[in-house]
Parts: sequence; structure tokens; C-alpha cells
Amino acid sequence: MKLAAMLAAALFATAAQAQDSIRIGVITDRVGVSKPYAEPATEGIVFGANELNKKGGVLGRKIELLIEDDQSKPDVSAALARKLIDQGAVFILSVSLSPATQQQQTVTMEAKTPQMTPMNSADYLTTQLNNPYFWQTGPLGSVQIATLLAHAKTKSLKRVALITDNSELGQAIAKAFRAGLEKSGIQIVDEEVVSNGSTTATPQMQKIRGANPEALFVAGVVTATNVLIFKSYRELGLKFPIHASYNLSVPIYMTAAKGLVDGITFVDAYDPDKPEVKAFEAAYKKETGKDPANLHGYGYDGMMLIAAAIRKAGSADKEKIRAAMQTISYAGVMGAKGMTYVFPEGKRAGFDPNGMVVRVYEGDRQGRVVHVGQK
Amino acid sequence: MQDFFELAVGAAASGCVYGLIGLAYLLVLRPTGIINFAVGEWAMLGAFGGFVLLTKYEWPYPLGMVVALGILFVIGGSTERIVVRPLVEKGAPLLAPILALLGMVVVYRETISSVFPPDPMPVPYALGMGRLEFGPVGGTYQSFFTIGVTLAVFTGAWFFFERTLAGRAFEAVALHRRAAALMGINLSRVMALSFGAGAVVAGLGGLLVAPNTSAYYLMGVPLAIQGFTALVIGGVGRVEGALLGGLLLALAEQLTVRYAPIPSGYAQGVPLVLLMVFLLLRPTGLLKAKG
Repeated sequence: MKLAAMLAAALFATAAQAQDSIRIGVITDRVGVSKPYAEPATEGIVFGANELNKKGGVLGRKIELLIEDDQSKPDVSAALARKLIDQGAVFILSVSLSPATQQQQTVTMEAKTPQMTPMNSADYLTTQLNNPYFWQTGPLGSVQIATLLAHAKTKSLKRVALITDNSELGQAIAKAFRAGLEKSGIQIVDEEVVSNGSTTATPQMQKIRGANPEALFVAGVVTATNVLIFKSYRELGLKFPIHASYNLSVPIYMTAAKGLVDGITFVDAYDPDKPEVKAFEAAYKKETGKDPANLHGYGYDGMMLIAAAIRKAGSADKEKIRAAMQTISYAGVMGAKGMTYVFPEGKRAGFDPNGMVVRVYEGDRQGRVVHVGQK
Repeated sequence: MQDFFELAVGAAASGCVYGLIGLAYLLVLRPTGIINFAVGEWAMLGAFGGFVLLTKYEWPYPLGMVVALGILFVIGGSTERIVVRPLVEKGAPLLAPILALLGMVVVYRETISSVFPPDPMPVPYALGMGRLEFGPVGGTYQSFFTIGVTLAVFTGAWFFFERTLAGRAFEAVALHRRAAALMGINLSRVMALSFGAGAVVAGLGGLLVAPNTSAYYLMGVPLAIQGFTALVIGGVGRVEGALLGGLLLALAEQLTVRYAPIPSGYAQGVPLVLLMVFLLLRPTGLLKAKG
């Protein structure tokens, strides 16, 4: 009897708490292909929510995160979006794979629930479906390539080589690189593919050496294959500069490719010299004892942007939050100095096209910014 | 021309790794008749053993190598004991243990992917990073090390099967299980040993290739395919067939990428086309079984 009473008390307590708190759903990937990206981003979201709650929450109510794992499977993802909405989530943050985020939209659009991806970069997320409840603040794939090419232009390159892996995304990025290079009048003297699971990239790199390019563009996204390419590059003693895709901005290269990455330039959305970044890094380190990476910043920005929208809406009503999102202007951790996320009328991709940067590896560390924007 | 020699050494090293994986198939196949696709995952376990013992705990290379391969021997032996033997003893058809071992592929991989992060993990070179040149022929220390170790392993395996009584016992079990048992050969011990040795050889392949490819949870399947192809090309009749097949496969792979006048995306398919042609012309493999 006593036990039953205690249980009942506990249940009521949770119910009361639930009424007080604002529930935010998070769909992440803990075991699938997006895990290397999704996990740090989720840690950033959790850190952001804790920070908000320490300051008394939003509108005087605590933020309660409901975190689900979709394994980067779109079908699982849609079901989880439904589950989160049923559990009372007023906003869903999606940090899993782009196709999974896309599938969630079919649910959020129908259930009129705000949803945002702070990290996905696929251009199609805001163009294929006209979902007024969805926003994207990750830098678009097209912006990444344009920024990298803008930097290449400053080097007045004429002849370059292109290398990628045989993954779907690696092929897609290589295609975009090719189109961009051709548009800029830069000649591609050799184009190579290294299949994932290869034991060496030396034949490809020899062929590139033979074509004598002024620079090499690495469009691959599979870390192990990129490491293989850099090893062959060092072994053959090659000297031409390397400009690499966004994949090089993940922190694992600092340990997995030790001694191989010095001098490689890559596109990123993170400027370590920015005051917001410095404050974020210090606070994160103090709270968790670990250094955050750019990926943590995406999750953190997503959480803070939602909090700002709820504050502006003055309530946790989904329709009011939606209206507030469209009028918000928020400066976060990500993006070049002075960049703000904005959603002008009709636009739901909020990352400034000139907000990306090109950085360079200094030793094994991701170092300074050498170029900003698309100009 | 310098490109060719440089490539030849690297390709020979890759071929040696394929050959080791091929030999791992053969060690299990000979006495049991089982094609064991889990050899690729054993190679992955060898690579992760290298990461944990050599990179993380910074053990001296020979010690780390011996301990990692010792662990693989236990894993191989216990896989036989737990997964294969019950099926064989119950008289299940040969397909049953083959499928059970395919299931083990998933078990090994998921175990690793839940224990380690999904990123590629660095494994050190045996002799450090550096190059050795003999006139026009040059290659990395690791390439020469891989070639040397592989030759030693194949010599040992050849000696075992051709010159020792125990090796003959393996052969006898392959030929006729019941007759071999009647002759006093301990079937269970032969089977457990063949799986243990297969795991050691596959793990060695993984450990040797990992300084190039890094250790990551998806590395097993491509190696399993390359090793199997090497075995098919070389033929299962003789031990050295696997090595010959591996070398031919690696050379075909890398020379087509380097020299064939087709986009390198298509060049990946060339070795497989060669394999099909090869099977049509010489279905028993390059080397015929003796006697």
C-alpha cells in the first residue's frame, strides 16, 4: 500500500514536472554511419540545455530533452518523430543523416511541429518539400564548395587534379567540385577514384603526379580512405597543395592522420578566433572537462536558437514558435565572424552563404582561417 | 619506369596481405571443407589488437604482435568450439557451419563497433615510417616487412603440410573424416587447431595492412573478398597457390589503375573481369594439386 502510494506520488511528480518543462525532441544516430557527426552534435545540444537550465530555463520553465536514436535509418526516423510529438515535444532537433531528416519532415509537416537541423548540409532539405515548420542552419553543400573554390581562385590555379572515394556522398561532392572547377575555367588534368577498403592509394597518386597539377582537390568523405590518400601523398614526397572537403573539419584527423595533414586547407564553418567560439570553448571545457570541436558547436547553436525563438514567441505554443523563428536573428558559435542566422521571408535555410571559412592544418591541429566567404 | 618499380613493391605487399587472408581460408577449408567468410573480421580484430596494444598501450612491436595473435588463436579456437563443432557433431550439412560463420561476421563487427568509436584508428608501422631503395626498386619499410613476414609464414605452412606428420593428419581429415578418426587422428583437435591457426594468419594480415588502412570496423569485408579471390585464382590444391593468387590480384588491381587508359572508377572492375575470364579458362586455379 505504501509502495503504491509512493509510486503514485512519483508518477504525479513526473506529470507535474512535465507540465512545467518545455520538451525538445532530439533525433540522433548512436550506431550508424552518421555517428561520428551526430554524437558530438548531441553533446553540444545537451550542454546547451544544461546551460539554459542553470540560468532558470526558458520563460521560467526548464528545458527537457527527449533524445532518440534512429541509426541513420529514414524509416525509423519518421516513426521516432511521431513518438516525440506524441510525448509532447514542441520542437525537434535533427542531427542524424540528411535523408533521415528529410523523412522526419513528412511527420512534422503533418503534425505542424517545428523542426530544425542545425548541422545537415544537403541542399534539398528546404527545396523539395514546402514545409513551413522546418528550418536548416547547417551550411549547404553548395556553399561549402563555392567557398573552397573562392579560396582556390585567389591562388590563380590553372591545372588541378581531383580525387575522391567511391561512396555515394564522395561521388556527389566530386561532381559538384568538377562543375565548380569547370565553371571557374580551371582545367582538371586528372581525376581519380580510390575505392573504400583499398589497401593503398599509390597507383592513383602516381598518376596524379604524372599529370603534374598545381593543386589537388580531395572530395572524399570516408576518413579511412582519405588517410590512405594522404599516406601515399607523403610516401611519394609530393609537394602540390591539397584543398579538401568539409570532411577534413572533423576532429578525428588530428589523431587518425598524425603527421600527414600539415598544410592541408579545408572548408569549415568554425573560426577559432571568434569571440563567441572562445567563450563557448571555455565554458564547455569548464563544464565537461573536454575540448569541444566544431561539431559540438552545431548542436549548441541549434539549442540556443530554439531557446531564442521560444523566448521571442513568449510561449511554448508550436504555432507561435513557428512565427517567431521566421523573424529571428541570432549570432551563434558557428560561421565566420559577425555572421548571424536569419530566415528572410520564404527562406528556411538560415546559414549565411558568405559565412563559411577555409582553414589550414598547422601540424596536426586544425589551425587558422585563411579565407572567408565566397568572394 | 621508376613508377613501375615503386608500384611493384607496394603491390607485392598488398598481394602478400591478400595471400595471408587466402591462406587463412585454406587452413580452415582443408581439414573441414568449410569456407569461412569470417576471416576478414579476424583480420579486423588483428588490426584492432594492434591499435590497442601498440598505439594505446605502446607495447614494443614484437610483444604486441605476439600477444595480439595469441588472442586471435583463442578467438579462432573458441569460435570452432562454440559455433562450428556442435553443428558438425549433430551431423548438420556443410552449409550450416558456413552460414553460422557468416553470422559471426556480424557478431565480430558489431562487438567492435560498440566498443570502439566509428573513426579509423591509427596502427603503427612495424619498423617506423621510411623508405628503402635498391637501385630502381624502392618501397616503404612496411612493404618490405610485410613481404618478409608473409614469405616466412608461407614457408612454414608449406613445410607443415608437406613435411610433417601433423600436416598429413590435417590432409587426412580433409580426405575422409571417419577413416582419419579410425586411424587415431583426434578430429576435434585438428578442427580447433585449424580455426586457431586460420585466425592467427588472418589477424597477421590485418595487423600488417593496418598501418596503411587504419583499423576500422568496416575493413573486414573487402579483405575477405580480396583473400577469397586470391584463393580462387591460385587454386586450393596447394598452399603457395594463395600467395600467387594474391600477388596476381594486387598487381592486376594496381597496374590497371595506374596504366589502363580508362577512368579509375572503372579500373576497379578490371580485376573482377580478369577473375571471371580466369575461372572460365582454368576453373581449378593456377596451381594444380599434386598427385
